[in-house]
Amino acid sequence: MTQPVSSSLMPRDTRRREQVAVFSIAEFSFVISAASIQEIRSTDSLGGTVVDLDRPVMKKVRHIVERDGRAYYVVSGYEHFHMSQSRPTTVLILRSAPVAVLVDRIDEMAEMRVLLALPQSFHGEERTWYRGLTVLERKVLPVANPLGFLTAGELQQLEEQNPGLLQTAAAPWLQRGRG
Amino acid sequence: MKTETKSLVPSFVVFQVGTRRVALSRESVAELIASPLLFSFPHTTPLITGVVLRRGQIVPVLDLGPGLLGAPSPPARFFLVVERHISNIPQRCAIPVQGECELVAGIMQPTAGQDEFVSGCLDLNKEQIDVLDLEKAIAAGARNEEEAITAAEALS
Repeated sequence: MTQPVSSSLMPRDTRRREQVAVFSIAEFSFVISAASIQEIRSTDSLGGTVVDLDRPVMKKVRHIVERDGRAYYVVSGYEHFHMSQSRPTTVLILRSAPVAVLVDRIDEMAEMRVLLALPQSFHGEERTWYRGLTVLERKVLPVANPLGFLTAGELQQLEEQNPGLLQTAAAPWLQRGRG
Repeated sequence: MKTETKSLVPSFVVFQVGTRRVALSRESVAELIASPLLFSFPHTTPLITGVVLRRGQIVPVLDLGPGLLGAPSPPARFFLVVERHISNIPQRCAIPVQGECELVAGIMQPTAGQDEFVSGCLDLNKEQIDVLDLEKAIAAGARNEEEAITAAEALS
């Protein structure tokens, strides 16, 4: 994984490179590590079971989706980043957290050569949202933190308000698999 | 940038944010840059309108308009790069400015104004120019912007 070292660019090719996916929500582009993505699906072809949350405690999460025996909280990308309404057509199913993120589209796969620290002047939620910033094709893009879409606190809050729902959503598939 | 140099007299950079001419101590100003490419992305820090890439460094762009004018400043062609110290770490920021910047020498006088972020004033050809305390100006702007957002949310 590319390591944040400073907020300035270093000489080329001295650090490890990282494969990333570039995705868009509304007019903004973001980068996320390809290694953190389990699957990229169209919202139309996702299939599986979608379960409404009994108690949607946050605007950005209203559903759970079951996929291959695992259940994921569906996080609206535009609600997460406090943006105006967008048209999500793609779901990023993450590997490291029970999270599926709705985004407008995947723009490209690319190689990230540098990860720059977010300047100290930024002190809001973006410090959780992003691992840092990168430069791709002379554009500065934020690098999404896969663990920032739902923090440990938010996951706990969802579980407390919807106890056992995440496990229940995946149970029918597991039972079918056993039968 | 016009220059007037006098030895042993402190110097200040005079610049314009919207309709208001203000000054900063020369020591806090690094450079003036023209038409940098501004990159923006979602965040929740007040006043920051994006970042620019300058000599391989990411420089946040801070609009002083909400603090100085009570509203965002108009689009700018020039950005004044200043140095802040955040938790004792030096951090460069770019401030969008309108019109010309001047480097002037002068003695700062006490101010009679009400603005908490004005640390003194300069008499520049009979024009009174407020000298800013940058951190207080940023804090005042952040408060104004947060209040405006809260009011807008309450109305929506």
